[in-house]
Amino acid sequence: MAALLPVPAALRAKRRREAVRTLAFLSPWLIGFAVFFGYPLVSTLYFSFMHYDGFAQPTFSGLKNWRYVLTSYPFFWQGVRNTLWLVVVMVTLRVVFGLGVGMLITKIRTGAGFFRTAFYLPYLAPPVAATIGFAFLFNPGTGPVNHLLGTLGLPQPGWFTDPSWSKPALTLLALWGVGDLMVIFMAALLDVPREQYEAAELDGAGAWQRFRFVTYPNISPIVMFAVVTGVIQTLQYYTQALVAGKVASGIIGNSGQQFEPGYPQGSTWTLPQMVYSLGFQRFDYGSACVVALLLFAVAMAFTALLLRRRSGLMGAED
Amino acid sequence: MTDALPAAALRARPTPAARAARRRTALHWIAVHALGVAAALFFLLPFVFLFLTSMMSDQQALTSDLWPHHWAWGNYSKVWHTPGFLTWWRNTLLYAGLGTVLTVVSSLPVAYALAKFRFRGRRIALMAVISMMMLPPQVVVIPMYLFWAKQLHLSGTLWPLIIPMAFGDAFSIFLLRQFLLTIPREYLEAARIDGCGELRTLLRVTVPMARPAIAAVALFQFFSCWNDYFGPQIYAGENESAWTLSYGLESFKGAHHTNWNLTMAATLLVMAPVIVLFFFAQKAFIEGVTLTGVKG
Amino acid sequence: MTTSTRRPHRTTAALACAAAVALLAGACTGSSEGGAKDDASKDTTITFWHGWSQPSEVKAISDNIAAFEKLHPNIHVKVVKNVTDDKINQALRAGGSDAPDVVSSFTTDNVGKFCASGVWADLKPFLAQSHIDPATTFPAAMADYTQYNGNRCALPLLGDAYGLYYNKDAFKAAGIASPPKTLSEFDADARKLTKATANGYSRLGFMPDFHGYESTPTHFLGQWGATYFDKNGKSDLAADPAVSAMFQWQQKLVADLGGFQKLEKYRTGFGDEFSEKNPFETGQVAMAIDGEWRTANLKADGVTFDWATAPFPVPDDQAATYGRGYQTGTIIGIARTSQKQNAAWELVKYLATDTDAVVSFANAIHNVPSTFAALKSPKVDQDPNFRTFLDIAGNAHSSTTPASINGGAYQVSLQNFGYKYESGQVPDLKAGLAGVDKEIDAAIAQAQ
Repeated sequence: MAALLPVPAALRAKRRREAVRTLAFLSPWLIGFAVFFGYPLVSTLYFSFMHYDGFAQPTFSGLKNWRYVLTSYPFFWQGVRNTLWLVVVMVTLRVVFGLGVGMLITKIRTGAGFFRTAFYLPYLAPPVAATIGFAFLFNPGTGPVNHLLGTLGLPQPGWFTDPSWSKPALTLLALWGVGDLMVIFMAALLDVPREQYEAAELDGAGAWQRFRFVTYPNISPIVMFAVVTGVIQTLQYYTQALVAGKVASGIIGNSGQQFEPGYPQGSTWTLPQMVYSLGFQRFDYGSACVVALLLFAVAMAFTALLLRRRSGLMGAED
Repeated sequence: MTDALPAAALRARPTPAARAARRRTALHWIAVHALGVAAALFFLLPFVFLFLTSMMSDQQALTSDLWPHHWAWGNYSKVWHTPGFLTWWRNTLLYAGLGTVLTVVSSLPVAYALAKFRFRGRRIALMAVISMMMLPPQVVVIPMYLFWAKQLHLSGTLWPLIIPMAFGDAFSIFLLRQFLLTIPREYLEAARIDGCGELRTLLRVTVPMARPAIAAVALFQFFSCWNDYFGPQIYAGENESAWTLSYGLESFKGAHHTNWNLTMAATLLVMAPVIVLFFFAQKAFIEGVTLTGVKG
Repeated sequence: MTTSTRRPHRTTAALACAAAVALLAGACTGSSEGGAKDDASKDTTITFWHGWSQPSEVKAISDNIAAFEKLHPNIHVKVVKNVTDDKINQALRAGGSDAPDVVSSFTTDNVGKFCASGVWADLKPFLAQSHIDPATTFPAAMADYTQYNGNRCALPLLGDAYGLYYNKDAFKAAGIASPPKTLSEFDADARKLTKATANGYSRLGFMPDFHGYESTPTHFLGQWGATYFDKNGKSDLAADPAVSAMFQWQQKLVADLGGFQKLEKYRTGFGDEFSEKNPFETGQVAMAIDGEWRTANLKADGVTFDWATAPFPVPDDQAATYGRGYQTGTIIGIARTSQKQNAAWELVKYLATDTDAVVSFANAIHNVPSTFAALKSPKVDQDPNFRTFLDIAGNAHSSTTPASINGGAYQVSLQNFGYKYESGQVPDLKAGLAGVDKEIDAAIAQAQ
């Protein structure tokens, strides 16, 4: 409304100065946003309608790439199903386990520092290193995990080499690196006002009721945040699945063979790996861009959820 | 408050009801710590196994014996002297080091503007930052790769990964902004009244106050560069002399098919710097994670 | 309100403009064009990419390069080892000064892609100028897998042939006098050699699962001489009786030997293929289908039992073709982006056609020589177990997987189907194969 009123010259000058100042501060990012987000996004859309192999000039091919990815590319829907599996199982277990470990760490009195570090450490392990490590530990023939299971007389699954065990094995790897969620939940749990617990205890609430009626309502925004960011991370799931497949199949670098992601039997295909495989193995840039756009749409839908629910993301002032 | 409880519980001479209560507390202590130990085993045993395997001979690494027959420290020097390993180290340090500095320098003013300036489109800008933060890197990789490789002929180097960090990193901007919001306006006003321009206010007042957040951002960025696999795979994959540790480690496994002992030694050597850095900067790190977890 | 709504519009417009400009720039993705205008007698340095990585292999290739540099003192070769096809593809597209001049690839899968896209330069002018006729220089299958639709962009650089490895001690103990020649003999021998235990095997005659290292559908199909595509370039797996016959044979053998579940469980106890833990080397299996390089591994790893090689058996109704096998190999070519194609050709010509170079390299890394002259050379390793593979390579019935415009994608599709089929997820083989045909045709149409 103020803008409609006549504005004194001095104030206008001040505003202009402020605008220039704001622009100056924002400029690195404005450039970054345009060059590394805006431009490639528009360009991805453009290439999704082109036939382009990186050599001949791109030619317009209409909806051909879209039709190919959605109806003929054999891995697309398998990748979508894998992603759904990971979203449902891996994200849920990570949140539940992260919350459990977070609660445990707030209860531990002796050696809390040691436990916190121990729980957090795996999160820091570089994904490639952690995945190779797990591929060794869970190596069906020679790994210690199956030796252990064998001595206990338990079945010894094929883990990363068995299509029905590969995603559970990746889930274990994800649970091992639950440290980020643990710390977030720990902070949230410590913020729950003590008086509420005391009041609940006076009312004779048991442990479950205290959790249900005191803890959970207080930390539910954080749980929501963990779920939504977990989903977005799962949409980006790439390194662990690819490296685990390469190591377990034995097709890495030197064998000269091309490794097609998804090993075993396509059970670890995810959409980001499809962008890589279509784009940098088959050099079908158009189809790769189609998958990229679909991935973008889903990721943005969840981001919108995050922004709408606020979860405090936008901060108190907005 | 309950730190010394079990010992105290044994020493006191209380009423039966209080005794029962104390026994419950002691049992509770035992249950919690037993769970803690179990969880610690889950988190730490893989490291132990990796370490033990890295100390075995080639043959033993494939057997079911878990304890090294004799400790082959030489495995580590063998890995260290693998051709290329040192180059990968240097490249990773360059990528992570330069990337971290550039990110902090370019992100701080943006975060400051988003947290402290009032301007139209601020909300939109913030939403754009969050969107960019959530964007899977694969979404834009095709045009970005064509841009770097075909227009600028920089494929086979790490520059396509380093240069963009001079233009702000969405996650770092977001995290810094979250922290800057908590700095009371009055401090900044005071600085302004003292005649400081915005840039000087930022450097003189904000930066010292935001030191923990800056440290956290720097650490996160360093780690994310250190751990990055996709970026080096796409841009540096074709040129072995530009590989980073994460990418090189995979090919190391490829070259040493059954030598799990050497592979595990290499794996631990790649993990080590991250873990050492963590021990030095634990506090900043955990504060950083907490910040991303967002306080309303 | 009016001002506040106008501004974002302008910003959006500006952003859109910037994006459009950038987009136009992005669309002009011309690639740098190489050429054969260089003078190969001048002092020059060329870059050669290959995929070998084992120390003995790397040494063999640098010996070869050293011999070449002695012959051509003006041409210096910078060698880059351990390069995969993905990297070759990517680097050649990017162009740039680090890109290679001479490239080699371990698989023949990508010849179609390399030739059709022009990533690898056409070698016809060079061959003509050097008076080399591929048809009289290279064995038929090798000459075939290095070209695509008449476009010759590669030459064979050593080859691989697949045959049968068998444990002679186990054969003797089971009372088997000679290696099987037909598949029904083979199946009977596999059963005889198998010693089952309560929940596994103490020894398995043969591992028929498609994941059992080299026992892949395409390797088996070499015994039938499958062609994969009809004359219109359409996938004809469902129509080709050879393909159904192979799957039915494999399924029956899997059932005979104890069933898929039991075999798969046993398979997870196998060590790495390229190590002394290879199941044939440990005695876990008594017979294996494998390439000629295994002869060297068996010697180097010092296995304790007596073993021998033979051609892999053929279907009973094609007994006359015994001696055939699946063939593939390493290929070499010139990057189209190379500015030094004449110098690059000198190296390609030397590595691929110089008899001494081919023979010494083949002996050093235990591969099959890839020219007629080299195959006949007395200097080639005379070990009878190795010569089995030279004969397979020279056999007129031996066949390969044809080049396709989208590389080995069709083989991957077939292989993926094989995994499904052997695990019992495909009720109707014909219908399943028709589905694979459709998938392959769609992928090829998409690549064109």
